Amino acid sequence: MDAFLKYLTLQDPNVRYVALATLLLGGVSGAVGSFNFLRKKTLVGETVAHSMLPGVLIAFLLSGVKNPYVLITGAAISGWLSILLVDYITQQSKIKGDSALAIVLSSFFGFGIVLLTVIQSNYGGEQSGLDHYIFGNAAAMTPEDSNAFALVSGLVLALVLSFYHSIKSVVFNLEYADAIGINVKFIDGVISFITILSISVGIKAVGIVMMSALLIIPPTAARFWTNSFVRLLLLSGFFGALAGWLGAFVSYSQTAMPTGPWTIVIISLIAFVSMLFAPKRGVIYQRWSKLLLKRRINEENLLKTAVQNEVRGLGKLFNRRSISQRHVFEQGLWNRTVRRLRRKGLIKKVHTGFTLSTEGRSYGAEIDRRHKIWEIYLQRRMQMSINLVHDEAETMEHFLTPEIEAEILGELGLCSRFNPLLEIHELVPDRPVNAL
Amino acid sequence: MDAFWIIITGFLVASSTGMLGNLLLLRRMSMMGDALSHAVLPGIVIAYLISGSRASVPLFLGAIIMGVVTTLLIQFFSSKGKMQADAAMGTVFTFLFAVGVILVTKYAGEADIDADCVLHGEIAFVPLQTSSFLGLGVPTPVWTLLILLGLVQLVFWIGYKGWLLTSFNTEYAKSIGIKTAIWHYTLMAATSVATVVSFESVGAILVIAFLVVPAATAYLITDNLKRMTLYILAQGLLSAVLGYFLSEWVGGSISGSMAVASFILFVGSFIWSKKRGLKSPL
Repeated sequence: MDAFLKYLTLQDPNVRYVALATLLLGGVSGAVGSFNFLRKKTLVGETVAHSMLPGVLIAFLLSGVKNPYVLITGAAISGWLSILLVDYITQQSKIKGDSALAIVLSSFFGFGIVLLTVIQSNYGGEQSGLDHYIFGNAAAMTPEDSNAFALVSGLVLALVLSFYHSIKSVVFNLEYADAIGINVKFIDGVISFITILSISVGIKAVGIVMMSALLIIPPTAARFWTNSFVRLLLLSGFFGALAGWLGAFVSYSQTAMPTGPWTIVIISLIAFVSMLFAPKRGVIYQRWSKLLLKRRINEENLLKTAVQNEVRGLGKLFNRRSISQRHVFEQGLWNRTVRRLRRKGLIKKVHTGFTLSTEGRSYGAEIDRRHKIWEIYLQRRMQMSINLVHDEAETMEHFLTPEIEAEILGELGLCSRFNPLLEIHELVPDRPVNAL
Repeated sequence: MDAFWIIITGFLVASSTGMLGNLLLLRRMSMMGDALSHAVLPGIVIAYLISGSRASVPLFLGAIIMGVVTTLLIQFFSSKGKMQADAAMGTVFTFLFAVGVILVTKYAGEADIDADCVLHGEIAFVPLQTSSFLGLGVPTPVWTLLILLGLVQLVFWIGYKGWLLTSFNTEYAKSIGIKTAIWHYTLMAATSVATVVSFESVGAILVIAFLVVPAATAYLITDNLKRMTLYILAQGLLSAVLGYFLSEWVGGSISGSMAVASFILFVGSFIWSKKRGLKSPL
């Protein structure tokens, strides 16, 4: 706890740069990653990150120094080349996008490894630390590095803000954006540019693979919570920043624990929790609402069938057998449904079976009515065969709202209290198909 | 003699991963090779920690299990969790890789294992691990890779019809009652085994390169699956030879050079296919 407080208040000057830098990095890459996420091009980050290795090394070979700005420029150039190459391969041959990504990734990275080994055997001490670009080493970051971070974050932010609306259109609907006169190629370039920029500053801190994860996972997690573009951007940035900050804390408090991997583990946990527990889109919510829907449908079917039996003069008493003649209920399902309906006061137990309460009767009658209305609508408006309408209505009766019901009645020119005794296919005698 | 064994090793890796890469390419799952090669790391480390040795069998088991777990997780996230397919893959493999790196760092002190040795196995050391056979010093990795190649060939040719159908037309294959899921998981398991076996001797980067580049080179030249496998073998052999001499020339990593050589061959076939494309009436 003490360590956490010390970390939180940034008292330790050693950790100050690292904490701020990883926080910034997580935030920026989370937000930038959402663009690629929404365009379903998340794995581009993986290829770009790997492709930066030769750029870093060539920049070092040409300049002979490990100045972060020089190396970032080198990284950005080779990252850019890799994107161009992927596009070129997919446009000019039958190779598909994912294969092109894998080809460019492995070739650039292989080339990088060759360069790295050549440099390591030809240069002495001044080259040490270049291999941090593969696995990352947040602890070895200098104030210069975090300045570069801040600068790049500002640049990314400025670009996103100034092209916000164009980026949004391009991300969601390329054709539409093109049609309304947005320079799609330029915006495409802007998105690539900010992606490359954030990866190139990040790889030294967290490593290649971790960097591409920072682009992929935060928007994936954020997507479970929102449908809005702005909120996705902000939430994704927030998740990324939180994970970066906590990841740096783990590596600060535990000896010899790497920052990058912990950041990824934390952001992954955020994603898993989001996937399970998020309202609306989460797995548990979806399961639960499916269960509730199933229950409601069963209850409505039982009530409706009981009402239909009454209308057809089969008496007010019903049990599983009499209901199952029109609508089959297994014993277990019957018991569960009856228990819920009795608790809700929609049916009552009498000594020889069950009977509907007043509320239950009007509820069941309403479902029955919707069924008949939908059948007539299908038959008259959709020209559907009278033999087919029943099955369709069996589903729709549970979903028609009073508003739609009123609209249909109006369109068919029927009075609002329309409620025929029987379903429409029961009014017409069954005819063999070939007689039609 | 060293050069010979190194080239043979490169060729063996190229031929077994190339055959699988062929199927990955046709199924548009090439990045899966990259994903699996990262995701098996925790499997290897855990197997290593449990067995306490670097013997191959436990490592393979760990890798196979991890490979299948990865595939199942991706499947689960995208179908049950409603994640975008590419995001599901990206999330799963980077997460597993991160766990692997943490495990490696945590146990680095107690055990003879580090991320470098797992991911960047060096083909240059292959000739050093010799075991004698008929008076001939054959490096151990060559034996392992030969067995791997045999297994891959067996799986490939036994399932040839299944692979053909499920790769080209999944819907049709499903409709005539082929269990497409089984083929999918077999391919994933085979890819993870091939990845891990090759890791040990040549390093991850060459595995990823050989999984996709030879197959892509062949794919540009021919449409025939049988001929494709032949071209893949040729491409692998050429990359191994060229890569070896390239590394001799510049004095850098042999695995990296082989990856670069493989890419140069790809560029060749790319240019060739473009020229032919211009000439053809289509």
